[in-house]
Amino acid sequence: MKNLYSNKYLLLSIRLVIAFIFVYAGVEKISDPESFALSISNYRLIPTITINFLAITLPWIELVSGILLLFGISVKENSTIIFSMLLIFTIGIIISLFRGLSIDCGCFGKGTQIGLFKLGENLLMIIGSFLLIVFGSDFLKIKSN
Amino acid sequence: MKINLKKIFSIILIAVLVSLVYNHFNGNGLKLIRNERVLVWESDSLASNNRADDLNIDSVLSKHKNEPASEDSINKTEVIESFNEPKAIELNLAYKLFKDGIQFIDARSPEEFSEGHISGAVNIPFYGSENYLKVINRLDKNKVVVTYCSGADCDISTLSGDELFKMGFKKVYVFVGGYEEWRKNNFPVTKPK
Repeated sequence: MKNLYSNKYLLLSIRLVIAFIFVYAGVEKISDPESFALSISNYRLIPTITINFLAITLPWIELVSGILLLFGISVKENSTIIFSMLLIFTIGIIISLFRGLSIDCGCFGKGTQIGLFKLGENLLMIIGSFLLIVFGSDFLKIKSN
Repeated sequence: MKINLKKIFSIILIAVLVSLVYNHFNGNGLKLIRNERVLVWESDSLASNNRADDLNIDSVLSKHKNEPASEDSINKTEVIESFNEPKAIELNLAYKLFKDGIQFIDARSPEEFSEGHISGAVNIPFYGSENYLKVINRLDKNKVVVTYCSGADCDISTLSGDELFKMGFKKVYVFVGGYEEWRKNNFPVTKPK
């Protein structure tokens, strides 16, 4: 079973999929920071004064770790960053679903509402990034000296 | 499963620094500290306006009810121009506007809307599809509209108000008490039979 999970092609596809999703998500949010700030504030989980700082920095962390993951640079470290972000986002979504909020997810700019489907998507990515943390993905990576 | 914590912190630090520099030079950049969204209340004098029966759009827009009639039109223009974001209103004024036939806009979801809404309101869900643009375009953007959601705890009425302004509406009120307060006061609602 371990061999299946540590299969280099499987790990490579997980790496590429997650990397592309994060690069896309990062770029979408960077292009419209105000919408993302509104989405964060709709969750009503964090103090207003911190919202803009998060709206400015989070998308870039997503973008940078996404690009590094894409090229296979520091895969375990970037997967850890992505894993932690996904975990925090998912907890936010779960809390909001329990509170009965029907709000925009803010995942890729405006347009997707939070729900069980979103939760499933995030869980899959959490599992994927966990596999990358454990096994890494050295296949097709840019060699560092 | 060796993870280099130093690397993690460096990546985050670099991303944060780049983001701050980018935000600084970006025209659409945000202020580092966000201000609370505070709605301006429509003046109380309007709410306690004695001329409730003959209240119309003009008297709502004109804050200076004691001014001579001849200057009314000038004041009205000034008020309309200064109306550049939604204004909060409370129950009394909302009801007066309702009796005046002002269009109410329900920003809640279609499900909540169908369970009961203020009579005559149209449903334009804030988290709705773009099909609702047709509904918005049917409304007269120069007339007063009132948005509301479930109650004082929801903010989609304000957010909808902001969006309506972006779309060219000039006079948008936000009925803060929302459907809950309206219903508790036994004001006209439409419910499925």
